[in-house]
Amino acid sequence: MVTKVLNWINYRLPIINTFERHLSKHPVPKKVNFWYLFGALASIVLILQIVTGIWLMMPYSNTEEGAFASIEYIMRDVDYGWIIRYMHTTGASMFFAIVYLHMFRGLLYGSYKKPKELVWIFGMTIYLVMMAEGFLGYVLPYGQMSYWGAQVIISLFGAIPYIGESLEVWVRGDYYISGITISRFFALHVVALPLILIALVFLHLVALHEVGAGNPEGVDIEEYIDEDGVPLDSVPFFPYKVLSAMPAIGVFGLVFCIIMFFFPEGGGYFLELANFEEANPLVTPEHIAPVWYYAPYYTMLRAIPDPLGGLIVMAAAVAILFVVPWLDRSNVASIRYKGILSKIAIVLFVVSFITLGYLGTVTVTETGKIMSVICTVMYFAFFLLMPIYTSIEKTYEVPDRL
Amino acid sequence: MIKSILIISFLFFSLAPSLNSAEGGPCKDYGDCDQFKPDLNNMASLQRGVGTFMKYCYSCHSLKYSRWGRVANDLQIPEDIFFEYLVPDQDVGPYDLMVAPIHELEIDNAPPDLTLVARKRTSSWVYTYLRAFYDDSSTTYGSNNLVYPGVNMPNILAPIQGNQKLGCKEVPVLAKNGGEKRDEFGNTITKEKCGYLKHQDGSGLLNVEEFDEFIYDLTNFLTYVGEPSRAERERMGVYAIIFFIIFTFLSALLYREYQKDYH
Repeated sequence: MVTKVLNWINYRLPIINTFERHLSKHPVPKKVNFWYLFGALASIVLILQIVTGIWLMMPYSNTEEGAFASIEYIMRDVDYGWIIRYMHTTGASMFFAIVYLHMFRGLLYGSYKKPKELVWIFGMTIYLVMMAEGFLGYVLPYGQMSYWGAQVIISLFGAIPYIGESLEVWVRGDYYISGITISRFFALHVVALPLILIALVFLHLVALHEVGAGNPEGVDIEEYIDEDGVPLDSVPFFPYKVLSAMPAIGVFGLVFCIIMFFFPEGGGYFLELANFEEANPLVTPEHIAPVWYYAPYYTMLRAIPDPLGGLIVMAAAVAILFVVPWLDRSNVASIRYKGILSKIAIVLFVVSFITLGYLGTVTVTETGKIMSVICTVMYFAFFLLMPIYTSIEKTYEVPDRL
Repeated sequence: MIKSILIISFLFFSLAPSLNSAEGGPCKDYGDCDQFKPDLNNMASLQRGVGTFMKYCYSCHSLKYSRWGRVANDLQIPEDIFFEYLVPDQDVGPYDLMVAPIHELEIDNAPPDLTLVARKRTSSWVYTYLRAFYDDSSTTYGSNNLVYPGVNMPNILAPIQGNQKLGCKEVPVLAKNGGEKRDEFGNTITKEKCGYLKHQDGSGLLNVEEFDEFIYDLTNFLTYVGEPSRAERERMGVYAIIFFIIFTFLSALLYREYQKDYH
């Protein structure tokens, strides 16, 4: 009976073929390490964000007077509202943490190398949309940090010459941040950007399945295939990949629950303490700091005294990630077979990125200012010098098989 | 590879605090806030706390995001007793928000709402602030606060705490290496430093320890009201963590079993 129904449908819509091709029988490299688990975790968090987001939307009020109180209503009066909200806020930080690790995996093992350029570009676009999504979501509770954070970000548009001021008004929908701004940010946060995000994730996965997943050795597993065309060094996605992801999901769930149930504010890094006060346009908080996942770019913005220059540097810092596939001239993909220069470069890059992130969350000091300029230079040097150090260094022989 | 990243990051972050020295502590002139450890399962403490709040704070401060019935219920106070002895307004019910009468009037500079004060400022800050008032004849109300210099709030708990003045005391001089400086006979060298709270014994209803406990209960209540689900959250968290530990363990066993197929 079930087979009959499935066959009936499959004749008209290729569900079985698609399911087998992209899930159950999809061949994946048999030997990968933990860095390859973050993609799966990211998709789980995406689903979690969508589901909790739908439930948060029901009691949330997208008005100037009601927004802040409706969050407290969720935290107090809605049954288990607090758990849904904390899942969403913890999920946001975890999403970024996972995506940063996922992106770093890409840099480590050359996940952008030919023919995976499009996979990388779709991924980077997801990251870009996520940053916008995170910012819009942060404004919705309409606390002090929501308001003043939005003020800082929107004023960035004002730094653009000629059209800056009108652009600011266009983004806000008003001459200052008001209920109109909240309701349009709400529409973008819950409808527009999630739709784009889902479409991009779909494209990211389709492109990935077309060219095949990578591995830490940088070996092309398609070179050795059996008579059915299945790579010899691969295993089917189900059950092997699913099972290898399960313990990772368990560890991730553990970390997630420890944060969500015991440290939902994340020491003020996930939920900033100043945001427990309703937005007040007349009182500027002592210290405006972005949430941790924007902190590296915020430091770059602050490192440049000129607002337009800061904006350009900040935009360039994200934009440069898109062209990494063409900056890396190495003949090997994985860091394991790259030369010493690449290895030094990536260590310095990680140090500069973490330092930039740290500096973005603290108040500016003289030493901090110098550090942020040095780290900004180090960040860009990693990318801009990549064509040079990847082509002159001596690489190691990559094995044939995994 | 990963090791070297970790080592370098660790080295950096051990140096990091020196970059942050310009930032003053949240407790301002008081120095570091006194650490407060809430005990949200201590019903007696929370009940005393809500009593203190209603008696001394509620005339000026609302808890406008919280509802009467929820507090009565969470603090295990029967509703009839709660409304008879604790709530001064006769016309409010369990589903009403705890808005103080003063906030129903439209006045500028109304005293702040305190529902989220312990979340915004931290419980330790509240606990320290409420004990850091001192006499200062230069201000409107004749009192000032070390944690919140120039605060526009009278020292409402003065009759209970008694008089507190700013005084000076001898503190050890620190040597360059961070230890105490000593003279050639091995005695600690001290200097006079001012800006310390000096309590006048017997001037209040409670002695210092009793007053600390009194404020502890009030802060405990404000911590509770900042996040009424916190006790439940921490209770549920334990089960969630146990679940994921078992889940991880079992799925790891299953994974190992299947891995034999291709290794």
